[in-house]
Amino acid sequence: MSLWGQAAEIARVDLRIERRVGDVLRIIIPFGVVALLVFPLALGVDLATVAEIGPAVFWALGILFGMQVALRQAASDRPERRDLYALLGVDPAARFVGRTLSGSVLMLGFLFALMIAMTVLYAPDLPEGWPAPMLTAILLAGIGLTELGTLAGEITAGMRNRTALASLIVAPLALPLVIGGSQTLESLTRGAGILPWLLLLVATDLALAVAGVGLARPLEEASR
Amino acid sequence: MRLEPVGPAISLDDAGVSLGGNAVLRGVSLEVASGEVIGIAGPNGSGKSTLLRLMAALLAPDRGHCTVLGAELGSPRSYEVRSRIGLISHVPAVIGELSLRENLVHAVRLTGADVARVDTALRAVGLEDAGDVRAEHASFGMLRRTEVARLLITRPAILLLDEAFSGLDGDAQELIDALIVRTQDSAGAAVMVSHDTAHVGSRADRILGLRGGRLEALA
Amino acid sequence: MNRVRILLSTAALAVAVGVWLAFTSPVDSLQGEYSRIVHLHAPVMWVAFLAFGVTALASVMWLIRRSPRWDRIGEASAETGVIFTAVGLFTGMVWGQAVWGQAWDWGDARLASTAVMFFVYLGYLALRRATPDPESRARRSAILGVVAVVQVPLVYFSVYMFRTLHQTPSIRPDGATMPDEMLVALLVNFAAITYLFVALLAARLEVARAEDEAAVAPGLAGDSVKPPRLSEIEDV
Repeated sequence: MSLWGQAAEIARVDLRIERRVGDVLRIIIPFGVVALLVFPLALGVDLATVAEIGPAVFWALGILFGMQVALRQAASDRPERRDLYALLGVDPAARFVGRTLSGSVLMLGFLFALMIAMTVLYAPDLPEGWPAPMLTAILLAGIGLTELGTLAGEITAGMRNRTALASLIVAPLALPLVIGGSQTLESLTRGAGILPWLLLLVATDLALAVAGVGLARPLEEASR
Repeated sequence: MRLEPVGPAISLDDAGVSLGGNAVLRGVSLEVASGEVIGIAGPNGSGKSTLLRLMAALLAPDRGHCTVLGAELGSPRSYEVRSRIGLISHVPAVIGELSLRENLVHAVRLTGADVARVDTALRAVGLEDAGDVRAEHASFGMLRRTEVARLLITRPAILLLDEAFSGLDGDAQELIDALIVRTQDSAGAAVMVSHDTAHVGSRADRILGLRGGRLEALA
Repeated sequence: MNRVRILLSTAALAVAVGVWLAFTSPVDSLQGEYSRIVHLHAPVMWVAFLAFGVTALASVMWLIRRSPRWDRIGEASAETGVIFTAVGLFTGMVWGQAVWGQAWDWGDARLASTAVMFFVYLGYLALRRATPDPESRARRSAILGVVAVVQVPLVYFSVYMFRTLHQTPSIRPDGATMPDEMLVALLVNFAAITYLFVALLAARLEVARAEDEAAVAPGLAGDSVKPPRLSEIEDV
């Protein structure tokens, strides 16, 4: 079977498992919304400040909690399943692509839900024409974050404290995504060009995709 | 790409493997011919599972040379032979959140084989009424039968069995015997490891011992 | 007609009467038509508190008696409470937008603590969903159900503890701050929505009982394992 065929099959099963287990829908999304509630309560109740920080809080929480979405598959990945895929002739690159596909679907669902909650709770003053650039930035950042999480999961495969370690790996590496995402809206608000920030996101996604596919085999060997 | 074995199905020449800084296998030399069934007996911690994982091309040796189905382990070609190797390890390789049938369908789709064979395989192993049971709710015996069903479909050229008979009833053990016979009849090779010589004694063409990471002849 | 259907039908009738009264009663002079939202918002929030109180009580009873019936009541009541809280939050936000010009006010302790309460019980339901073993699920839920109920008095008394945009209760021990017709409509809606809660709880309990029976009924899992057909192996 081709690499894309294997990737599609892995993505299909990942999404089926998520439909049954429901980690993202029942746990991570509510968790993210609770975090949105915590920030203003901790900061005080100045409405103007709350509205101003809304988008920034969205990106910060989106990345931090999005890591849980990206890493949830790695957290449940057992050595027997990895061996099974290896012995079924699944290309490690196909596993990376498949996990990224399924993870991106869930990540985008999470980010959109978080964005809606932020818009309702923080009532930010969004600039005219914000939906298309904002949604594009979310799409690109979501894919990048998923790629990072999948990579980090592979790097830490088989390790005892992998979830915490993978989070530590992802968080700083996600900085270009945070900057690209938050500055897209910021630039739109100031009337400046958004293209450089979107290109930063695209470049980050491409770099991570190349790394993920290119390093898939060495990563698999390192995990054994 | 189908690799036709040149020479023995499995060849280990002074192979050594270290894991976590500890030597697990030392100076292992072994040849398994096509159509041969080898039994390897040894106590816990002797390196049996590591030896099988080496033969399954899931590990590369730190020392020595190993070839499986003509491919040198550690080379890019070793990735290609993996799909012709079947492994039953002591922990069943299934996805808990999927049903037994879904596990088989998933495996079959990944190999590009015909999904219609899944129901035939389930029937052959006696799980035709249990296909919808989720793997996480299935018994150990049911999971073993599912693994046998998968191997019946994928028809590996090399069959590796790690304590495969432990904890199974007579029916399930018969299934694994049938799997070994089928592999042997199609010029494949089988290697069984166990801490219990009774499991491997009557089934193997020859038996070797593994102690402290070193192979030694037995019967 | 079974008991649950009778309950649901009569509850629907009661709610219909409440809706009619809500739309025909006088309105607040300042808030105008928007004040009619009180006939839905206040009763559903009262029922949400009631539901979580029932969950806590059922949790205590399970810890004492270990009967599955109390676990089912705790779950059904929490589910219903979450739905009513969501409706209460939504109607509160609509009302707030109309009257205060803002759907969400961070200075309102009751709003924020109600939202937190909502997520506490979402967590309760997520915990139940993630625990496959019935005994373990009941035990963990019972403990969380008792701990979580602390939220309920916090929410209710927050309106007295913090200065807030949210209005203080309209019905107090020293009398109501609304005209009699409006008060009658409000009280009827309180009764109707409480009755609706009871009917929904009964319906959910019936479903839960059926689910539990189906889970036990089919016999041993091992019965589905047949002897292998070695002669058919070559057919694979």
